Amino acid sequence: MPEFIKMGVTLMIVGAVATAVLAATEMVTREPIKEAKRLEILRALTQVLPEGFDNAPDNDTVQMIDKRLNRKETPVTFYRARKSGSTLGAAFVVTAPDGYSGDIDIMIAVNPQEILTGVQVVAHKETPGLGDKVVLTDWPDKFRGKTLDNAKWGVKKDGGEFDQFAGATITPRAIVAAVKRGLEMFKDHKESILSPRTEAVPPAKK
Amino acid sequence: MSGITTKQIIEDGLWTNNPVFVQLLGMCPLLGVTTTAENGIGMGLASTGVLLGSNVVVSLVRNYIPTQVRIPSYIIIIASFVTIIDLTMNAYVHDLHKTLGLFIPLIVVNCAILGRAEAFASKQNLSKAALDGIFSGLGFTLSLFVLGGVRELLGSGQFLGFTIFGEGFHPAIGFILPPGAFIALGFILMVVKWIDQKREEAAERREANQPPVPTDASQPEGAAAS
Repeated sequence: MPEFIKMGVTLMIVGAVATAVLAATEMVTREPIKEAKRLEILRALTQVLPEGFDNAPDNDTVQMIDKRLNRKETPVTFYRARKSGSTLGAAFVVTAPDGYSGDIDIMIAVNPQEILTGVQVVAHKETPGLGDKVVLTDWPDKFRGKTLDNAKWGVKKDGGEFDQFAGATITPRAIVAAVKRGLEMFKDHKESILSPRTEAVPPAKK
Repeated sequence: MSGITTKQIIEDGLWTNNPVFVQLLGMCPLLGVTTTAENGIGMGLASTGVLLGSNVVVSLVRNYIPTQVRIPSYIIIIASFVTIIDLTMNAYVHDLHKTLGLFIPLIVVNCAILGRAEAFASKQNLSKAALDGIFSGLGFTLSLFVLGGVRELLGSGQFLGFTIFGEGFHPAIGFILPPGAFIALGFILMVVKWIDQKREEAAERREANQPPVPTDASQPEGAAAS
């Protein structure tokens, strides 16, 4: 057999075996990964949503598209928390496009009175030791109880009331702005977000 | 090389030929993830898993792969193991997977792993290749842990997540940032060289049983890194 054919065949076999092994691994891990992601969402939800809901918020969802939630206008899932039928609030992910390095995904929860009940950063690529303090400290707790009207939205450096960190202003600034956008969006579409229907709502025309 | 003993493999992997301290390979994950000691251990163990897998498979197929296509074949093998580790970690240690994030796929380009496959596993039998994979990996883990520990201690005043220094300590944030990794690594390499020199002197003294001769064991660091 000529040398070059042998090379090609060897590479082909290596590639085929690798593909088979990877396909098998993917099949085995698909369900556990899905479950791990679901648990992660549930954990974030219990942290931001008001206490005492008795439904499963990850099963009571509605999707909406709005430029204020993320610039790519991908559908955002709203998880609704209810207690014996009455609505306690909704949690959803706002994406801040202007973090120090890439997007910051923030899960925020708002109750029907448009008061924030919790804020959690769920995904970010901020600098370890600087920007990631928004995850590692209790900084997001400051948002609890804030509304569009009762807070000065902005970091202290910009005349607002939220702390920035020494050496990290960009991250908190991006998050504060994103949370505010999320609140505004919630205010405009409160009815459709909290109503019991579950089908996707078309993007709001401006 | 074929007559290498088990003891030598273990010593080489952990110290004398440590992937980071001596060979200066795998700098990308080294600098990227070692902001804390915990990240260092996680990344080190993930790399150890890949090293073990790739060393074993490379050793098994070493007589069937033509020399000309061995590098692409090794890369495919390594990449497959990285993907397996990536998926498995995502499924079963989801939180650590999230912290290490982008750096797990980047294990593929860790030249320490291809280096072991090419320089060792492709010439050795299965058990020696496996042993080398484990101990090179542990050597890599050790260096990531040390560097991560130093940076965490100086950069945020913590160790493994516990605060070590009180309120009065002002952390040097620079050590958390990439330049800090280079600076910390430089000093760690200095200490490693110093220990090596001491060991060498002690060995000589034992042999000759006479006052030590000053040895010139200092290798310029820049030359080793290039």
